[in-house]
Amino acid sequence: MTVTLTIDGRQATVPKGTLIVEAAKQVGIEIPVFCYHPKLEPVGMCRMCLVTVGTPLVNRATGQSQLDADGLPIIRWFPKPQTACTMSVSEGMVVITDSQEVAADRKAILEFLLTSHPLDCPVCDKGGECPLQDLTYRHGPGVSRFDYDSKHHSAKRYPLGDLIVLDRERCILCARCTRFQSEIAQDPVLAIENRGRDARIVSYSNPVFDSHYSGNTTDICPVGALTSRDFRFHARAWELTNIPSLCNHCGVGCNTVLSTRRGQIARIMPRQNETVNEVWICDKGRFGHHFNSSPYRLTMPLIRRDGELVEASWDDALQHVASRLTSIIEAHGSDSIGGIAGACLPNEDLYLFQKFLREVIGTHNVDHRVGLSATFEDDTVYAVGVGTGTDLGRVGRDTAFLVIGSDLDQEAPILYLRVAGAARHGATLITAGGRPTKLDKQSNHSLRYRYGTATHLLLGMIHVILEANLTGNETVPHRVNGLNELRANVADWAPERVAEITGVPPDEIRAAARAFGEAKNGIVLYGPEGLGWGNGTQGTSWEAGSPLRQAVANLVTLTGFIGRPNNGVIAVLPHANSRGAADLGVVPDRLPGYVPAERPGLNAQEMLGGGVRALLVAGADPLAGVTLADELEFLVVQELFLTQTAQQADVILPAAALAERDGTFTNLERWVQRFDPGLPVPGQARPDWTIIRQLAVLLGADWAYATVGGVLAEMAQAIPLYRGMSYEQLSQPVSLSRRMSHYIYAGMSFQAEMREGMQWPALAEDGSAKLELDWLDPPAPPAEGDGFTLVAPRVLYDGGTLLGQAEILGTRLVQPHIALSSADAAALGVLDGQGLQVSANGQSISLPARVDGLVPQGVVAIPRNLKGAPAESLLGEGRIFSRVKVVKG
Amino acid sequence: MLREVWSGSIEILRAMWITLKHFFRPPVTNQYPDDRVPVYPRFRARHVLKRYENGLERCIGCSLCAAACPTDCILVIAAENTEENRRSPGERYAEVYEINLLRCIFCGYCAEACPTEAIVLEHDFELSTHNRWDAIITQEELLEPHEPDYILIRDDQVWVEPKWGHLTK
Repeated sequence: MTVTLTIDGRQATVPKGTLIVEAAKQVGIEIPVFCYHPKLEPVGMCRMCLVTVGTPLVNRATGQSQLDADGLPIIRWFPKPQTACTMSVSEGMVVITDSQEVAADRKAILEFLLTSHPLDCPVCDKGGECPLQDLTYRHGPGVSRFDYDSKHHSAKRYPLGDLIVLDRERCILCARCTRFQSEIAQDPVLAIENRGRDARIVSYSNPVFDSHYSGNTTDICPVGALTSRDFRFHARAWELTNIPSLCNHCGVGCNTVLSTRRGQIARIMPRQNETVNEVWICDKGRFGHHFNSSPYRLTMPLIRRDGELVEASWDDALQHVASRLTSIIEAHGSDSIGGIAGACLPNEDLYLFQKFLREVIGTHNVDHRVGLSATFEDDTVYAVGVGTGTDLGRVGRDTAFLVIGSDLDQEAPILYLRVAGAARHGATLITAGGRPTKLDKQSNHSLRYRYGTATHLLLGMIHVILEANLTGNETVPHRVNGLNELRANVADWAPERVAEITGVPPDEIRAAARAFGEAKNGIVLYGPEGLGWGNGTQGTSWEAGSPLRQAVANLVTLTGFIGRPNNGVIAVLPHANSRGAADLGVVPDRLPGYVPAERPGLNAQEMLGGGVRALLVAGADPLAGVTLADELEFLVVQELFLTQTAQQADVILPAAALAERDGTFTNLERWVQRFDPGLPVPGQARPDWTIIRQLAVLLGADWAYATVGGVLAEMAQAIPLYRGMSYEQLSQPVSLSRRMSHYIYAGMSFQAEMREGMQWPALAEDGSAKLELDWLDPPAPPAEGDGFTLVAPRVLYDGGTLLGQAEILGTRLVQPHIALSSADAAALGVLDGQGLQVSANGQSISLPARVDGLVPQGVVAIPRNLKGAPAESLLGEGRIFSRVKVVKG
Repeated sequence: MLREVWSGSIEILRAMWITLKHFFRPPVTNQYPDDRVPVYPRFRARHVLKRYENGLERCIGCSLCAAACPTDCILVIAAENTEENRRSPGERYAEVYEINLLRCIFCGYCAEACPTEAIVLEHDFELSTHNRWDAIITQEELLEPHEPDYILIRDDQVWVEPKWGHLTK
């Protein structure tokens, strides 16, 4: 349905329901706005967008527009100017934006907005990229009739929490920040208090402005009222060099701009990418960049001599590593060497790392799964990942989301915004987890299973879907094998039986399963809390997580939610390049591109447990809280910091950080994206890929990669998934017209270079590929009994290597504690802050208790990845939860 | 031939006459540095950062001078005033202010751009240095000295009381 209207004499044909301001943009007419933002609901508060609007006079009897003597439609003008940001277009509408009247209105509105604006542009952080400044130059009065003393004065430096400073004099009360917080971030912590001249922005939360997304309000603020404390007075907008980059704190792969000045990051801003992060980034990504300039960065290679780490030259260090590796290979064979690469390394480095071990050393002992990564095994997404072209920002009513075992707000904040936004636009949202999360507020069906029974819940849902015959009948009969076997296997898992195991009422399982099966499109997001169930005796943890992944794959396959855009599975992986690490075969049993290895090597746990004599570690900290195995003779670490692993190393090679080099990351939705270098490398640090290349050359390989782009070129040749990818393609700017353009960057001093990246297709998108519905028996549900379930959820502000350096986030970093429900606290007789002892596997730790409304009864939560790693030491590597005893003390 | 010799001799004598005439005129050379020529009031030489009467710096660290500078010779790094360390009125002051005088072309655009009239080009044109680094002048050199209100002489000690506060020795 389109509507044709005339704006300043130009014909515009736009979809029905389009706002005048957007329609004008499409024909190249800019209507000035302050309060309007394309991502927010229109409110018409600032009145800047006033235009003259008329509609054709319609004869009520015939429904035809009435014509004048010349045969032209008679236009009935609205008696007063209308706000273009709240009025949607209608057929035959006539809009005038360039008349004297409109110009006078704009001038009057600007004069009104400036009555109490301090005009302290020289000291304002927004100066130079300020919509108010720009629009005043363009449309406003040249002089003010108000002198400074007669202006309304209020607080100049009102702290809104630790990160944001509010200047109340500059605020023009457009309510963009309050609307962002309530509509997009779903944290309604800001509000406008009082009325008229006394109206002001306040925060009602405790701690003040308690949101993971607070920094975005400084971006969308059209004046300098909200500024970030990190950037405050650090530079003027025009002094910054803006480099397109990526965020390296989680797997979402948010596009960012590094604004640097004098070789340091002055601020990080979001870079628009509608399919990844729209125009937002979380506060961790925005403020967690201080590690780059930390004085604790490693700048020189270190070699252990007589027990002490001493500085050495690169030649000496690399020669030392090469000769030790050679002698160990000669004495004990290739398989006595192993490598662990962190999933924060770029694709090129990971590819070379595994190639180094496989081709130069000759072993499959390579892995990336340490810490939280250890819970994941990722071929589910290879087969049935979300279809290429998926855009979570554009899905609506006909789509159903199932989020299982993931706290998106903490694990992948921008993914949370997008899923919550889809729910706001009418998508069906089903959340399933062992504990309530922030996403439950937006969900239509919120299922609370007992920890360890996520698989059973999914089997119950599959049972309902098969029973109600909600399978994707277009896809399933032609492409899927094993439907009958699956039908027979899930016949035992009726909701009533599942309810007994999981604790979810059968009606809720039925309702959720039907809601999911009846949708046109379906997306499943699964996170670590559904996985990693090990009861302490059986096998490795990720084997135990397989049934859930198989159940997820079966669910989307049999419902036909595969191989199309906006359908499929997203694994909420923990690190910036966890996806890439899996793609590129940094696992012992798969070569790059998910090709099974003939002779699987040792995994990370086996290597750390003494399976190898020499270990190469790049960008990972697997020995945090773990002592070195006796068998390990030689440990080489490539790192930014002297981590716990590095402290035990024989050779430490200083690496360059993300902002100091170029490379690519693959995000959760399989977008391969490029980042550019923006900072000088500290000291003699080198990018990881060059270190690996030099080692390979010293060991006799003829590796001639000149640039990191050359590595990607080889990957594009060697790995079918990455076919056609090149740096030229990945840095191709996307023109604004291709996507809806935004006013967000209208005030920016820079044109943010938008890049789209490239997405590799999942197996299911190949129409001829047959898909298997395999069956894996669900694990035995955890035994009921005394004690509590200990969970180690991932929190956003954890004690990670990179985040610990950001002083500004210091007060937000989570301190080790034991969270429990108020009922359990009362039963145990502990108060908030009192000591609590948790014991399991013969170990016990004491931490202060914290009564938390988001922890269900019978569960205690210790956030993972904190200093000293108390949670991991209790649970064991790769486990998320376990039965524990809890006592006061 | 004879005519050419004659006219050439006349030319030489005319030139010698000019030389002779100037021989008895007073010299125009000034004996700098003993004898200094006054500069014009709007002469533009080395910059000075001005203060308010109460001693606070006028400069607010806004970098507009650096933005206006055609040779990019000004570096400003701003910081925030605190109650303990108040350098300028308002919230912001220049923590670092440096001008590279080797690059400066003394165009005066910085003074033109300054919203608080903090930077002014004054009359000190004696800018030679022994090395190139010294040509980068810092905030301490640029800031005009705090002018004391009056001087107390007591027990052979000189006490200076600045306009804005406590006594210093």
